[in-house]
Amino acid sequence: MAKAKGYSDPKMEEKLKDRYYYREYSNPDFTKKVHDLARTVNHMCFQCGTCTGSCPSAPRSSYRIRLFMRRNVMGLEDESLTDPDLWLCTTCYCCTDRCPRDIAPTDVIMAMRNIAYQRGIVPVNFLKTVQAIYQSGHGVPNNDVNRAVRVRLGLAKDPPTTHSYPEFLPGIRQIIDHWHVKEKADKIVAEAEKHG
Amino acid sequence: MAEAKGHDYALFLGCIAPNRYPGCESAGIACSKKLGINLHPMKGASCCPAPGAFGSIDLNVWYAMAARNVVIAEKMGMDIALECNGCYKSIYEVNEKLKHNDDLRDMVNEVLKTVPDPTDPTKKGTMEFKGTIDVFHLIELYSDPKICGPDRIKESVTRPLTGTRIGVHYGCHLIKPKKERHLGDTENPMWIEELVAALGAEPVQYRKKMQCCGAGGGVRGYDLVHAIDITNEKLGYLHDAKVDAVTEVCPFCQLQFDRGQIEIKEKFGKMWGLPVLHFNELLGLAQGMSPTDLALDMHAIPVDPFLKKIL
Repeated sequence: MAKAKGYSDPKMEEKLKDRYYYREYSNPDFTKKVHDLARTVNHMCFQCGTCTGSCPSAPRSSYRIRLFMRRNVMGLEDESLTDPDLWLCTTCYCCTDRCPRDIAPTDVIMAMRNIAYQRGIVPVNFLKTVQAIYQSGHGVPNNDVNRAVRVRLGLAKDPPTTHSYPEFLPGIRQIIDHWHVKEKADKIVAEAEKHG
Repeated sequence: MAEAKGHDYALFLGCIAPNRYPGCESAGIACSKKLGINLHPMKGASCCPAPGAFGSIDLNVWYAMAARNVVIAEKMGMDIALECNGCYKSIYEVNEKLKHNDDLRDMVNEVLKTVPDPTDPTKKGTMEFKGTIDVFHLIELYSDPKICGPDRIKESVTRPLTGTRIGVHYGCHLIKPKKERHLGDTENPMWIEELVAALGAEPVQYRKKMQCCGAGGGVRGYDLVHAIDITNEKLGYLHDAKVDAVTEVCPFCQLQFDRGQIEIKEKFGKMWGLPVLHFNELLGLAQGMSPTDLALDMHAIPVDPFLKKIL
């Protein structure tokens, strides 16, 4: 039978069949790490589900923010980071506004994505934006059609940003390189493209 | 009077307004000038950077790059005004976070020390986040009676949008999370509706007004069908409310609603044909700018049905 959901890692796949959770699956450092990155009281979650009820992604996918909140409190790092649903949060902050425990579940998701990226688990579209910004300073760079329209409107053909002042690009690249993000992005994108 | 003096702000452009919908940029500058708000370009600013993409990957880079943009305005000695919710999230939020978290500020300043100065790229060691300015979305300046306010907008209108029904899409990062913003209710705000009414149009309430456009958080790039499904739902409710156009204050939401309708046609076979206009474009039309001056031909969905009602 076709499976709706699964893991590419056979070890994780085996665990998906096993309904029990064991002590060794829990990594308390994960909870702590998420807390430090998200700067929110993630451990206060009492699983009311207001977050999932507010979520625009929930009705059209298997993404359940409440599940991620629970996994976080339980320290279930692998389950959290290898679940493709992690990347379906649109960061609309509805859950954050409505959480009765004053938690920011959105920021918990962002923190988990940061940790996933550190482990090299990240969809390439995120990295391609990084590459674009490294290249031009803009996530959405200018193009010739748009340049012509800008001139018609009486604007400079390129905006007065790094597009007009490329001498500021080295500084921006320095910031990105400080955390080796471009280097890592290039490696992961090249790997992904090699495997088609 | 305020007109004599005016209010000066550093204009943070971002990416999508100048590079995809230049009418938002030119209308923003021209319209706010008529309202006593003078916008000054920020030389050498970059992408905010994209909160969905960079925030998901490395929050430190997000803090530092956004801080660099803030510092450019600090050096100009002006508060920042911008016209995109995504930029607002990055620039406003990082500005506030760095003001209130010493550890983050120190970390960012450590890196900024090595970055070239915006007034002279050959100089280094002069970039430092000091926390001396505030960040505003243009729409909150329009709405603020101390700066502009609906009455002043009404006075500036030469071509009232009478007889048109307009739905407002607030977008997420302008007002949420409400604890970190200062713009009031996030369940059913009405202050942009007041501004739409000031243009002479009829603001229309519709179901799930506060739902996300679907594009944010990198979802548009990660899973397009998922993203446009969220948009499609909203477009259906807007259609039910019989609006002539939807207005927003975020070029990324605009991209999602506008080009999204083409993608919805491709993937779901449904063509809504609903004109999508940034509030600055609406304001430009109401202040008498021509559709050509606003580059409305850059929209994927023709705005003509809406224009027919007002021209």
